[in-house]
This record gives sequence, structure tokens and C-alpha cells, in this order.
Amino acid sequence: MKRVIILISILAVTLLSSLVISFVAEITVPRSLRDLSKYYIANTIIDTASPESVAAIVWDYRGLDTVYETLVLYLAIVGGLAIFTIKGGFPRGEPMGLTELSRNATKIIVLLIATVSAAIAFHGHLTPGGGFPGGSALAVATMLIIPVYSVNILLEKGITSTKLVAIRGFALTGLGLVALLPVVKGLEIVTNQKFYPGFLNGVVISGSISLYNLLEFLAVASGFTAVALYLSIPEELYKGEVRD
Amino acid sequence: MIITILILLAFSLLSLVFVYMAITERDLLKATAFSAGQSICYAVILQAMGAADIVMTYVAVSVGLYSALLIFVISKTERFEEVSSR
Repeated sequence: MKRVIILISILAVTLLSSLVISFVAEITVPRSLRDLSKYYIANTIIDTASPESVAAIVWDYRGLDTVYETLVLYLAIVGGLAIFTIKGGFPRGEPMGLTELSRNATKIIVLLIATVSAAIAFHGHLTPGGGFPGGSALAVATMLIIPVYSVNILLEKGITSTKLVAIRGFALTGLGLVALLPVVKGLEIVTNQKFYPGFLNGVVISGSISLYNLLEFLAVASGFTAVALYLSIPEELYKGEVRD
Repeated sequence: MIITILILLAFSLLSLVFVYMAITERDLLKATAFSAGQSICYAVILQAMGAADIVMTYVAVSVGLYSALLIFVISKTERFEEVSSR
């Protein structure tokens, strides 16, 4: 009861203060675009061969920022994996899991998530989305498989942490190469249109943007899945290791 | 325009409810579910403001990854928070 009273009073104070602020400060919604937004809307397709301004800003206009950001994520996941590393390799056991009902429901959901994540990542240069959201969505699918089917089923299918870390390393090396290759021709690092083709057989690929999206998708999905695999190791094993 | 403002108002207040419930809840699994509810509210708010790109990342990270990671972490500790009396 005390919780409800506090909650109602918080809501009332929030509503009242927002009403007071909007009347006193006369906050208005901006009706016109700034010059910078106008530039991006008009010129993105010409500069980057991508109709999606956000993807173009992230991987082309401000490409170097995103490459560094990917590096930060790489180091963060390296840190996470280093903390959870266990002696004597990954523990394996008999595959156990939840009931048939939850398994079948999970099959459908995982298929849907995988399809949506691929669409988000591979269409990232045309529609909202991109490599990072697509990769995170795919990692959610594996995080769903682990509690429902148990981690051993993933290991049996050959999705091991070593392979995932290798895929991640390959994807990030590829990402670095895509960013660095224009330098060979004397262009700036992370150059897009002057080096990579915007169209392939009449299909819009937006130069390096689709390549970045694909590689980032692989790197993020495998990185987060590796973290999930290590998180699924029972705490008792770590405690046993500390005792030894 | 008025519908957008009403959606913003309703979901921001609802997110406040979820945040309060998540903070005061002693069952950590329920608190994680409330936190995911708050993230869904924010996703609706972002969509109402037309930031579709942010919604994609926000939903995947905040509703999916973050909640899943928290559940993994809770499985390593205890489900109920112990409140020490001071």
C-alpha cells in the first residue's frame, strides 16, 4: 500500500511539474529543419550512394568514429572473456533443457529473430538498422537457446567459444581492412564512394556501408554469443577453481 | 501531432511506473522484467518521435541483451534481494 501511495505521488509531481514547465517556459516544438539536416537529406544519396542518412553518417561521414567505437566494443568483450576464462577448457555435459512446449515455441521465435536480424543487418544501408542492431538481435536468439535447450546443444552443433572468438577476430580484421584499403590508393582512411562501387549489377550496395554492416553484424553476434556461452558456466565451477 | 504528444505522455508516465516497480522490487527476476517493460516504453517513445534507427538498436540491446544478461547474472547469485535493517 505504501508503494502505491509513493508511486501515485511521484506520478502526480511529475505531471504537475511538466505542466508548469510547459506553461511557464513556453516550450514549443521546432517546425523547421536546421541547415545541417537539410544538407544530409539532400546530399546523402549523392555522397554515399545510400538512401539511409543515419547509416551514411555512421559509416561514411563519421566513419572513423564508428571504427573506433567498434574497437572499444572489441576491447570490452576481450575484458569480459578474460574475466570468465576457465582452466581446462569449456565444461561439457549432457544436453538438458526445458519442456517440449517451450522448446517448440523457442524454435519458432529463434527462426523469426534470425530472419529479422539478417534483414536488419543486410538492409542496413537502405532502411533503418545496421550491423550492430542486427548482430545484437541474433545474439538474443542464442541467449534464448541457452536456457531453453542448454548450452551443450550449442557446443554439440559446433558453436564453441573458440570458433566464435575466431569469427569475431576475422570480422574485425575485415572491418579494419575495409577502412584501411583506400589508403593504398592515396585516399583518406574510411573513404567510401571514391574507392568502393555504389552499385553492383544495378543493386544498391552503397559502397563500403554494406560491407561494414555485414562485418559488424558477424563481429557483434559472435562476440555477444561468446560472452553468453561463458556466462552460462555454472558458478560452482568458478568457486571450485578459486578453492583449488 | 496531438496523438504523438499523448503517446509520449502515456508511455513516459508508464515507464516511470516500471522504473519505480523495478527499484522497489525485491524479487530480482521480476525487477528485470519491469526494467524490460521500461525499455519497451522508451522504444515506443523513440518510435513516436520518429527515431526508427535508434529503436532498432534500443530494442535489441535494452529489451533483449540487457535483460538476458541480467537473468544470466541473477542465476549466478540469489533470486531475492536481502534488505538489511539499519
